[in-house]
Amino acid sequence: MTRLTDLPPAQAKRLAELECPDFATRPWATGSALSQRRVAIVSSAGLVVRGEDPFRGRDADYRVIPSTTRPEELLVSHISINFDRTGFQEDWNVVFPLDRLRELAAEGAIGSVAQTHYSFMGATDPVQMESHAREVAGLLKGDQVDAVILPPV
Amino acid sequence: MSALGHYLEEEGLATVAISLIRPQTEKTKPPRALWVPFELGRPFGPPSDAAFQKRVVLAALRMLERRNGPVVIEDFPDDDPRATQDPTWRPPFGPAAVNARSADSLAARLEGEILQLQDAHERWVAQRRRTTVGLSGLPISECARYVADWLRGKAPPSPREGFSAPLILRFAVDDVKAYCLEAAAAGAAKPSSRQLGDWFWNESATGAAIHVLREVLQASDDDRLKLIVANFMVPAARVRSAG
Repeated sequence: MTRLTDLPPAQAKRLAELECPDFATRPWATGSALSQRRVAIVSSAGLVVRGEDPFRGRDADYRVIPSTTRPEELLVSHISINFDRTGFQEDWNVVFPLDRLRELAAEGAIGSVAQTHYSFMGATDPVQMESHAREVAGLLKGDQVDAVILPPV
Repeated sequence: MSALGHYLEEEGLATVAISLIRPQTEKTKPPRALWVPFELGRPFGPPSDAAFQKRVVLAALRMLERRNGPVVIEDFPDDDPRATQDPTWRPPFGPAAVNARSADSLAARLEGEILQLQDAHERWVAQRRRTTVGLSGLPISECARYVADWLRGKAPPSPREGFSAPLILRFAVDDVKAYCLEAAAAGAAKPSSRQLGDWFWNESATGAAIHVLREVLQASDDDRLKLIVANFMVPAARVRSAG
């Protein structure tokens, strides 16, 4: 199962036809070479550090994931059950590639890795997430981040 | 997700989204997105394949240096090599003859199976140094008991402040699923998600119990409970017709 066409037809149709926001603006931020960028992960997998509150349904807020988080501390609390979790169970980098970012920083391919990463719950209405996303933008800029990778699940 | 990219970019942060569902990304029109041909749940592809994952991460991050935007959507060219079945994998034990549809007997079998998988799960934790069991906040034996008690018709109260009983039931189901799937994947073989899912949903007593729990609780008068059990316990592709 690797493409939308491999999903059960009803699920594929629902995903393909899901209503998506139609933004009026087309923002475009530029920056320095990748080798100088400070990179953060902002996931929409409903990630939560063990011991903190999982996302309840379609909560629109976010969870904080410090760079010091260990693989055994990260859980997925996304509301949907219609995606594979066994990959994440074996290796958190399938969803949250913090080890890969550290390697890229050590190799000089990127400048550095952010001190803090964030997660939303991606099935939430994006309009409800907007104020929280802008708040996260402020926190990222406070950490000198100038590049963000946005993995879904 | 692509909408988050829009908001962050408006705040001056350069973003690149990973896209698993290209039609959604085409509609949202994020500044930059890399579509990947991987299974839902695996945005960076195969587990335990650092080189492949790094190629995906780097392909995405390199899009930050493009000057031909906004709205650049590219495709990652390679499939997930772990999407194929591993013929050497064997489930932790044979099919659990789960023809019985009595909720009480399935509840007992669920609790028994969780005990039976303990050694395999300990091997998993020793091998991977992690477990993703923990959303409910309950030890696994209590998770199993909580789910089993719902199956027995007891409707136990929530043991966690701030979380309703139906929500804890959902998380407890997530935890027993994770426990079984991790136990089943312990060892040297590299089963695909489909192999693991086929075993869990078609052969394990726990999978059979969750199927029946979903059917039984949909007769409840509690609309919130019905919503949760209908949509957030058995994957849509695994739902079976009642009867």
